[in-house]
Amino acid sequence: MNLNDWLDERTGWKTLKKTLLDRNIPKINWWYTLGSITAFLFIMQGVTGIFLAMNYSASPDHAYDSVNYITHEVPAGAFLRGLHAWGASAMVASVLLHMLRVFFMGSYKYPREVIWWTGVVLLLITFGFSFTGYLLPWDQKAYWATVVGTNISTQAPLIGEFIGKIIKGGSDMGTVTLARFFAIHVLVLPAIALAFLLFHFFLVVWHGISAPPERKKEANDEWRR
Amino acid sequence: MLYALGQVGTFTTGAIIMVSLDRSGSMPSSDLTRRTLLARITTALGVLIGVALGGSVGRYFLSPAWKLRREGWVETARLSELQESSPVKVNYVQRKQDGWTTTEGLRSVWLLREKDSGVIAFDPRCTHLGCPYRWDDARGEFLCPCHSAVFDRAGKVVSGPPPRPLDRFPVRIERDVIMIIPASAGGNINELK
Repeated sequence: MNLNDWLDERTGWKTLKKTLLDRNIPKINWWYTLGSITAFLFIMQGVTGIFLAMNYSASPDHAYDSVNYITHEVPAGAFLRGLHAWGASAMVASVLLHMLRVFFMGSYKYPREVIWWTGVVLLLITFGFSFTGYLLPWDQKAYWATVVGTNISTQAPLIGEFIGKIIKGGSDMGTVTLARFFAIHVLVLPAIALAFLLFHFFLVVWHGISAPPERKKEANDEWRR
Repeated sequence: MLYALGQVGTFTTGAIIMVSLDRSGSMPSSDLTRRTLLARITTALGVLIGVALGGSVGRYFLSPAWKLRREGWVETARLSELQESSPVKVNYVQRKQDGWTTTEGLRSVWLLREKDSGVIAFDPRCTHLGCPYRWDDARGEFLCPCHSAVFDRAGKVVSGPPPRPLDRFPVRIERDVIMIIPASAGGNINELK
């Protein structure tokens, strides 16, 4: 008995692998890989983000200098920061394309409605990551982009001021805003995203990949006759 | 290093594809199917991405281990103010680069002016467990209060637990100013020009 069988008896990993990786799928095209691409980018953002956080300080006094330190002093720091920044843009793009694929292929239809709903939440979480992450370098672009972004929320009638103060952690942008955005970016959103991702994945495996819609040839032929 | 990794990765991918193509070309009935070729390319790309990402992350995370400490010459006291033959504790302000911050700290050093060998600068921490020691003028010895260590004028251990004599800092004297590099003997010193 080899180690694989020994482990399989105790963990059932072969069944798990078969269910997750060797499952049957219908004949599909490359557009169906966009979900996997998004999942890969999410993991990459997680890995690079964890390591960037090791040399980052979420206070107005140090944020800019610490990002500068990552870019110019830490070996491979510029590369990891670049991956994180470009990966963020790529993830927004791949999430949107993934959504378009699901929409135009009718994959959201019965019985996969809940996958779509969790996907909508994940889309909003991705936007949350983008919005909070953009502020963290604390340079001019980051600062003023967030001033504009938070001001947009105050334009909402009646509750605008209220929402703005909650987002900024006060009536003005500053120390509290940066700490708040950092905590949301690295603690709150990853936890929520992970929960929804696992549910999203579970449902995809549970229902299987949806087959692309087909033209009904018989009907067409009948019409021609 | 990254470029090197990238090149190695591209090379391997290329080699795998070339080997695969070569095989299918020479043997028409080879067992290399489109599926296995794609699987191999996928694996190669996975390895390439894994090496690029893992290598960078490893370098990023482990770099503090081989990062050289950058220490510069610090001005401490004037040579003319220093009495001969009796060690003096001198306080000085040291600017230190700590990550992305620069800190200014008040530190001290024991300076001893010698007739023949210029000035000796002793690290003010006892070589046993790092306690600050003092000079006893009557006995003519350095005494450490923590574990009763005793050193002589030259820093040699007279009695007590220290494993080695007092550490010395590099000393340079320029136009009457005594300058030192305050790094312990154990650490790597990358002198600032």
